[in-house]
Amino acid sequence: MVTASDTESIQVEILPQRYLMPATAQKLLNAIYENGGITRIMIQGPNLPRSVPYGPAKGTPIEENRDLIIEVAGQAFELGVKLGRVRLELESEKYLPGLKAACERALPFTFQIKQGKFFHNRPTISDYAKYGDVEDKRILGLIDPKARKDKLAILSEEKVTIEDEER
Amino acid sequence: MAYTPQFYPGSTSVGINRRKHMSGNVEKLRDIPEADVVAIMGHRAPGADYSSTHPPLKEMGEPDCPIRQAVEPTPGAAAGDRVRYSQWTDSMYFAPSIPYFRSYWGAINCKGCDPGTLSGRQIIEARERDIEKYTKTQYDSEMTDVALCSMRGCTVHGHSLRLEENGMQFDMLARTELGNDGNVLGVKDQVGIPLDKKVNLGKPMSEAEAKKRTTIFRFDGVPMSGTVGARKPDEAVEMTHHMWELRTKWGYRPE
Repeated sequence: MVTASDTESIQVEILPQRYLMPATAQKLLNAIYENGGITRIMIQGPNLPRSVPYGPAKGTPIEENRDLIIEVAGQAFELGVKLGRVRLELESEKYLPGLKAACERALPFTFQIKQGKFFHNRPTISDYAKYGDVEDKRILGLIDPKARKDKLAILSEEKVTIEDEER
Repeated sequence: MAYTPQFYPGSTSVGINRRKHMSGNVEKLRDIPEADVVAIMGHRAPGADYSSTHPPLKEMGEPDCPIRQAVEPTPGAAAGDRVRYSQWTDSMYFAPSIPYFRSYWGAINCKGCDPGTLSGRQIIEARERDIEKYTKTQYDSEMTDVALCSMRGCTVHGHSLRLEENGMQFDMLARTELGNDGNVLGVKDQVGIPLDKKVNLGKPMSEAEAKKRTTIFRFDGVPMSGTVGARKPDEAVEMTHHMWELRTKWGYRPE
């Protein structure tokens, strides 16, 4: 009989009731990060283009969507989406209660938190067409296959674990 | 006895609101200056001349036609204005109006207009000075909550998305924003071209008020068929079934 190991990684999705402002997104992501145990994390939401993509005003810059810089765990990056969903993989289930508490602290409204399978673990045809043989399997399921290369996920340096970064 | 049209069945608040929208007896909640509405529509600069497609009807010399004599032209048609549009996007999170009821409102109450209903947006086309009047009526009335409804000529997908943290409908092009004083400001026109000055659209409705004025049946508001465990279909459901039956079985001709 196979018994599930309690150190097996789990995948979790956090779905806030509303889209987050950059400041709240920063607060939430930092709270999640401080909880620890993250193997990989993805944020998803509607795109925030830098200029009007179509229509009579095509090309007009959208100043409101520029320079949405947030700082998570000491690393600054620019938000390209309105944060509406966070998917992450935790090293083990023991980090889950802390994650729930972190969300409760950071979010001023209700949210859903679900455990399930959110990242695929075998490359799809799209993955292959875009990246060829994927060496770092962590990237699978993190990115939109339609996204351009400059919109890819931020991966920590190879062989650097989350704990290493925290030290 | 004078005939009073009956517009929509049902005794729920949603049914009552739908009747209000269709009959045009909507409450006026705010007064946005006409120049600001014109600026947000973006078809002409406020105060500029209307562009026209034909000379005024009086100068044209119309043919002798009983219909033309019986029907008085709208001001826009009489002046020969171009046809312009205004397009609305209403959030699914309890916006007061929805595309179908904006269209019913337009088709029943606005002369010389062409309403178009789509899943997430609703467009009305009419002669320019007429559409400006109709748009202002919609902006000023309870059909519009400035946080949950906005005029969007393109990029309307915010209607089906969750609201933003501050209660505004998501807009990729950021055409409206919530000011520090709690007023909603229009900063861009329908299609996303920045306005010369911000337009104050007034305060948004509270969540409770939006739920009170909405024309949307929702499971977490007023459900169309009652709640689970206490099913009580609204009269609207019966009417829909009846219409469906008539249409399907007899093509509306039950003889």
